[in-house]
Amino acid sequence: MEERRYRSAAGAPIALRCRQHSASCRELAVRCPRLQLRSLSAVTSAVWLAAYGLFVLSENSVVLSAAIFITLIGLIVYLHFVKIDQESLLVIGSLGIQVTSSYASGKESTTFIEIGQVKDVVINEAIHMQKVIYYLCILLQDPGDPQGVSEVVPLFQSSKPRLDCLIEVYKSCQEILEQRKTAPQSS
Amino acid sequence: ENSPAPLPERAIYGFALFLGSWFGFILYLIWAYVPETWLFSLGLTYWPQKYWAVALPVYLLVAIGIGYILLFGINMMSTAPLNSTHTITDNYAKKQQQKKFQEEAIPALRDIPISEVNRMFFLPEK
Repeated sequence: MEERRYRSAAGAPIALRCRQHSASCRELAVRCPRLQLRSLSAVTSAVWLAAYGLFVLSENSVVLSAAIFITLIGLIVYLHFVKIDQESLLVIGSLGIQVTSSYASGKESTTFIEIGQVKDVVINEAIHMQKVIYYLCILLQDPGDPQGVSEVVPLFQSSKPRLDCLIEVYKSCQEILEQRKTAPQSS
Repeated sequence: ENSPAPLPERAIYGFALFLGSWFGFILYLIWAYVPETWLFSLGLTYWPQKYWAVALPVYLLVAIGIGYILLFGINMMSTAPLNSTHTITDNYAKKQQQKKFQEEAIPALRDIPISEVNRMFFLPEK
């Protein structure tokens, strides 16, 4: 179990941890950059300075207490719903793929895709906000058409690793997904 | 046939448009600047309000400015999101026919599936 450092698409440092639980089970976890103290202080100071400016203009002290309230509530909402701490991918060869996102407040949200629905795990490139980024995604099988793709599930949306990290994850996943072709199970 | 060479008819059209645009511009300037009383004394009473001499150019410039932002926004809205299948394939690729492989001939042009492309790029063959 080793941790390698990479960069996200925006340049922030991220870390990839790869654990092999058994021959057909692997867990790949990407740790996102933590909330920076300087950006937190900058946002808080900006909100409080604006509130103080409003207070000087309006002579109403409710503005100051409202600003404190808004800052606290905003921070809690941000940590619980927006700031993702770690995204992990658990690939179990004969069972499926589990995608977990852990938020900074401790909340975890999990999605499981069973192996019969998984067509492939690929690195796709697409236009995202005036940039072209590489991202890893799971292609889901179209039940009616063996060559068709019914849905695309993008992974690591919050940490957005760059191509070198994605290639590592891709190779790990492909080693496990190849096993289901060489050892076909009758279902 | 249809060649872009200058012709006598085209010269006449060009000159007529040139005179027409100058006439329209002088008429606009007269309507905007000459006081209403002078125009009434000449007998020309049925003009639009002078308000429009300023309002129409302003409308036009604001519309052009909004058009830049609108076009930018429409482009962003039309970009396929990351979870759509349009980033991988489209109708033409789904309906393409497989041509038979012939020896010593250049393979036919086709859309290669993304799984194959990924294997070629990222899994080095030993």
